[in-house]
Amino acid sequence: MGVRAILIDPKDNVATVIDDVKSRDQVAVMVGKKKVATVRALKAIPFAHKIALCNMTKGDTVLKYGVSIGSASKAIKKGDHVHIQNMESNRGRGDLV
Amino acid sequence: MKRKKDHFLGYVRKDGQVGVRNYLLMLSGTLYANTICERIAQMMPDTIPIIHPLGRCQVMPDLKMTFKCLVGHGKNPNAGAVIVVDHYKEEGCTADEIAHEIAKTKKPVAVVNIQRSNGTINATRDCMNYGLDFLRQISDMRREEIHAKNLLFGVNCGTSDTTSGLSSNLATGECVDIIVGKGGRALQAETTEMMGGEEFVVKKCVNEKVAKKLLKLIRQREQDAIDAGCDLRGSQPTGDNILGGLSSIEEKSLGAIKKGGKSKIVGVVGHNDPIGKKSGLYIMDSPGHGGESITGIASAGSQIMAFSTGGCHTINHPLMITIRLSGNKKSIQRMESTTEVDVSDMFEGTTVKEAGRRLYQEVLDTASGKMTKAEILKEYNAFAINRIGPSV
Repeated sequence: MGVRAILIDPKDNVATVIDDVKSRDQVAVMVGKKKVATVRALKAIPFAHKIALCNMTKGDTVLKYGVSIGSASKAIKKGDHVHIQNMESNRGRGDLV
Repeated sequence: MKRKKDHFLGYVRKDGQVGVRNYLLMLSGTLYANTICERIAQMMPDTIPIIHPLGRCQVMPDLKMTFKCLVGHGKNPNAGAVIVVDHYKEEGCTADEIAHEIAKTKKPVAVVNIQRSNGTINATRDCMNYGLDFLRQISDMRREEIHAKNLLFGVNCGTSDTTSGLSSNLATGECVDIIVGKGGRALQAETTEMMGGEEFVVKKCVNEKVAKKLLKLIRQREQDAIDAGCDLRGSQPTGDNILGGLSSIEEKSLGAIKKGGKSKIVGVVGHNDPIGKKSGLYIMDSPGHGGESITGIASAGSQIMAFSTGGCHTINHPLMITIRLSGNKKSIQRMESTTEVDVSDMFEGTTVKEAGRRLYQEVLDTASGKMTKAEILKEYNAFAINRIGPSV
């Protein structure tokens, strides 16, 4: 088994990597012990960070645990590293008021 | 001595609470009494100082928060006896007033006032005399075999990363479910870190009234952040959360709320308030600030807590025993001196039930006297009183 990422809910569009992922690695997307998909990493993804399971456009909801964890702030490609550089929270945004 | 299943060895107090330690607590009423409390704790065995920069020049609601926090710690069953040390006179938060409340538990309590003692050397001497008497008394107590239902199990998380919501928080939640299932109580706080996960926590509330109260508190925490006119990011999630892969408060919350397991939420209380006696999971309103939230949990009388941490936090409350667990094997390798329970094998097939049982066993063993690494290293870094007003 190569590098893995955990999928929490079938509705999620990101998975959490649990091994260090190098650019171009084939990442096994796991639900428990079962591999449900493979995604090629477009860049290095640090341990415990997220990988995109599909393309997203700016404003799309990022889903984890089956619900929103924020929105894409830029276009995201499948296999991309998803984090603060391309997604943002929708809560506690005193800066937007 | 082999303990009965689901039992720990604890100190039965006169008010019926059970402690897992038997400390002499040097409780500072105010900033200027801190040094004496530390000095006595250094001189005498099994003596813990609780010190802080407050207790004076605070607006009344803020001072009341300080007062109930200090009283709560004096009443905590891990303190076998308490000496409250005062500087001169703090209107509304004197050592006499604090001691008067603590004395309702019927444990030995004394007050030393630096002015009344005529100076710091005399006050130190007076503390030593009380300490001598109290330690003679409480060291004569013996642990008894007590059922786990007497635990008020605290849960908290900090320096979280994405492994927290996938492993250590789940193990913590399982341990909550075990203890509550045996008739005990559990206490969770950090309402800021429920923002984004409301629909899940509200579903766990035992009735509409509890659900409404909890939702109102979570909304207030968000409003406080918005009223400050800032983007919450960097404060919540924190810089180390972000390094660990958490991208938003929602993501952090959805992982954080798992610490409560499946247990029903039977009550919601304010920060540093006491909780009910009924078995179940309680929520205390608090910010996500580690020191402040665990201090609130100790104020309510929790003897022992599990602190779930992806990045391996050094946090340790001086009075409430703090077990640190992590599911991030890289963090654990770096921070071995700071971690009691390793659940990183949850990523290699260990189930939530198995990891939860492992934590539960550690809770019972630690409650019975096994020292945490932080106790051995005397790391008393996490007593912090929540502020709700400015200094004046």
